[in-house]
Amino acid sequence: MSDIIQPGSGVLYMKIGTHANEDLADIIARKRKEIDDIGFAMWGYGGGTCYPTSMVQPFARSFADRGQPIHLVMHKMNSRHYAEQIRAARYSVDGANWEKIPDAINVLGSRFALMIQDLREHEDEIDLNSTRVAVGPNEGRLGSRYIQGRADKACLIVTDPERTNEESKKIKINLVAELVDPYAVFLSES
Amino acid sequence: MGKPRLQIDLHEAMNAVSDVVQNRPRPIRAIDQIYMKSADMVLQSELVAHWADGKKLAFIGDGDAISVCVAYLKNEKIIDYGPSQITVFDFDERQVMAIKSFAERKNIRHLKAELYNARDAFPLTNRFDRFYTNPPWGQSNKGESVHVFMERGIEACGYGGQGMIVIADDEELEWPKRVLHSTQKRAYELGYFVNRMQPLMHSYHLDDDALLRSCNLFIEALPGNKSQGDSRPIENERLTNFYGRDQNLKIRYIKSTRPLTMEGAHEDEWKPDYYEDIR
Repeated sequence: MSDIIQPGSGVLYMKIGTHANEDLADIIARKRKEIDDIGFAMWGYGGGTCYPTSMVQPFARSFADRGQPIHLVMHKMNSRHYAEQIRAARYSVDGANWEKIPDAINVLGSRFALMIQDLREHEDEIDLNSTRVAVGPNEGRLGSRYIQGRADKACLIVTDPERTNEESKKIKINLVAELVDPYAVFLSES
Repeated sequence: MGKPRLQIDLHEAMNAVSDVVQNRPRPIRAIDQIYMKSADMVLQSELVAHWADGKKLAFIGDGDAISVCVAYLKNEKIIDYGPSQITVFDFDERQVMAIKSFAERKNIRHLKAELYNARDAFPLTNRFDRFYTNPPWGQSNKGESVHVFMERGIEACGYGGQGMIVIADDEELEWPKRVLHSTQKRAYELGYFVNRMQPLMHSYHLDDDALLRSCNLFIEALPGNKSQGDSRPIENERLTNFYGRDQNLKIRYIKSTRPLTMEGAHEDEWKPDYYEDIR
């Protein structure tokens, strides 16, 4: 078991592929440069399962209050998500008050973004049968059951392995980053 | 005893609900607006229409627009039963305007809507026979959000009549069971009992919708149940975590900033990409 994925730790699990018509390697290089330049990057995402104010922020804050980090753990896959290459111009922590995104940061074609640092390639695996959904309406549900639905990302708490008759659902992790305050934000193109 | 339930023309009913869905504003996730799926709306609307046949029905919040479906199904003579009057109390001005506009366009005279936040004292106590609510599900405040909406419904019915409460239902998770338990306990404290429950009835437009369901919890006042006082604003401590963890009730109203454009996409959502060889 790794130092990131161990019982009691909090992870934001995400399947990733091509985004906004840009190759993943290009995205990683661009995001690392942003972190080098100003200390953090914005990792764009969409969908309703990791809404910034009601899901990611309370999840991350609950761990930060205990002095524990939240890691973004990513599984590379072949799925394609094509969105327009429109750069977000402003971001908001609460959906009401908006600020300009620093010029050094380019986050494209997304409704939301995670605030990350220490983005790196990291070979690991996560057993979704040893996780529980940490926040939101599905709080407490077995991670494998949740992801098995249509969710491609989830705020999870790593637990001890469940005693089930189902085979373990180990998923490769290829890329990790650490979430930083304010953890997740809304994006606007205008 | 309501009218006998005849087989309805499902094709007509689905098209009617489709009209209503087309009329709805887009949901705001931050305030827990998550819409019920359309097939479930058809069944739920018919059920509500029969349950409240000939009664005055108050909706305490109604993002799904079940109220509109119930009124419209009867107005279009797809069903021949339904409430005599429907009034929706919702804090989202977009919803209120959409309901009023639909009622006017379709000439539905018994459907009304009022801008109202459940935090405030209820304006029309003891005017209704039934109430319906699909409130925030109270996951992070031990069901308190459900209790608040239920209490407003009970006040609307003057501590009499019946209510239908739509709340989370799940065989795996703990919190929906705790909320169901606390809601039934609160109903009991207010002189009501559970007279029926329909488990795992509805699914929703969520990314993880494959798993999440809700049930219909029916409550009824004990005969001769007495009022427990005037309607009052809800105390601040009951508003904590109202919409989920760290999501307190702070917004009084969602105000509309755009005119209703139900017939199509808003102009800032799209742009044309023309053929170059056609002028």
